[in-house]
Amino acid sequence: MFSLQDKRFLVTGGSSGIGRQISIHLGQQGAQVTLVGRNLERLQNVTAEMKDGNHKCFSFDLTKQNEVAAFIKQQIPFDGIVFNAGIVDYLPIKFMSDEKINKVFDVNFKGAVLLCQQLIKNKLITKGGSLVFISSISSKLGIPGTALYAASKAAICAYSKVVASELAAQKIRANCICPGIVITPMTANAEDVSTTSLEDAEKEYPLGYGRPEDVSALVTYLLSDESRWMTGTDLILDGGLTLK
Amino acid sequence: MKENDFVKNFALQFDETDPESISLSTNFKDLEEWSSLVALSVMAMVDEEYGVRITADDFKNSSTLADVFETIKKRL
Repeated sequence: MFSLQDKRFLVTGGSSGIGRQISIHLGQQGAQVTLVGRNLERLQNVTAEMKDGNHKCFSFDLTKQNEVAAFIKQQIPFDGIVFNAGIVDYLPIKFMSDEKINKVFDVNFKGAVLLCQQLIKNKLITKGGSLVFISSISSKLGIPGTALYAASKAAICAYSKVVASELAAQKIRANCICPGIVITPMTANAEDVSTTSLEDAEKEYPLGYGRPEDVSALVTYLLSDESRWMTGTDLILDGGLTLK
Repeated sequence: MKENDFVKNFALQFDETDPESISLSTNFKDLEEWSSLVALSVMAMVDEEYGVRITADDFKNSSTLADVFETIKKRL
């Protein structure tokens, strides 16, 4: 079993769903976790739930360069980052607008890119560190209504490969995880706009829907030194959805 | 929000269905072209035109256009 004891990790979107589970899982492995998100109270609730350790949380808007810069100034190097913050917004192509494009891309793409830029520029990722981007299986499919979300997640996959290439000399790795449907509060919100019930859609998943801990298990592996030879990959984690 | 405009906007979300065949009393889920994408389009239209958010549950709880119209009216 690999160890994450005393390693320092940063998790974005850490207040609920997959990000919350990732943070808790990392805490259980002995890591020191810094959570960032929009809602300080919810972040504090997660750190209160976590095992002993020096966990911290910061609330700010990841899409604002000045707020990211202010956060960065207070940090010391991390051994790994989990870029998990994201939103789902389903919209048919004919309803897209400048405003809608910006809303989805600002959070799902720009937020991760700006944070990554600041971390690298300020040398806040240790040699041998690992960057994990949470993308989506949507980025590989063509599900009606998901164009903006899917494109923003595909952009993250492409971005992560270039990061992997540029940072390889420092032995810093970057990988993407593309999960299928994982039951979280965000999935429940997505169901509001889907006319296919979650129960019906689950029949498409040979292993059923995922749980947040299915994603966090892969994240902990990718953050550990056991995955030292893995970089620039998109890992599909979908309970067999794409087998069909 | 005028009834006629709402019916027209609703009908515009269909590509193959004759707009004349759609009225307030239409059971929209029985229309051959009704699909999750059309439903998504109606949600987006309602958001854009009336600034109101409707969900898949609202469709589940509605039979006719008039039912959807009433739901939107309550949220205006």
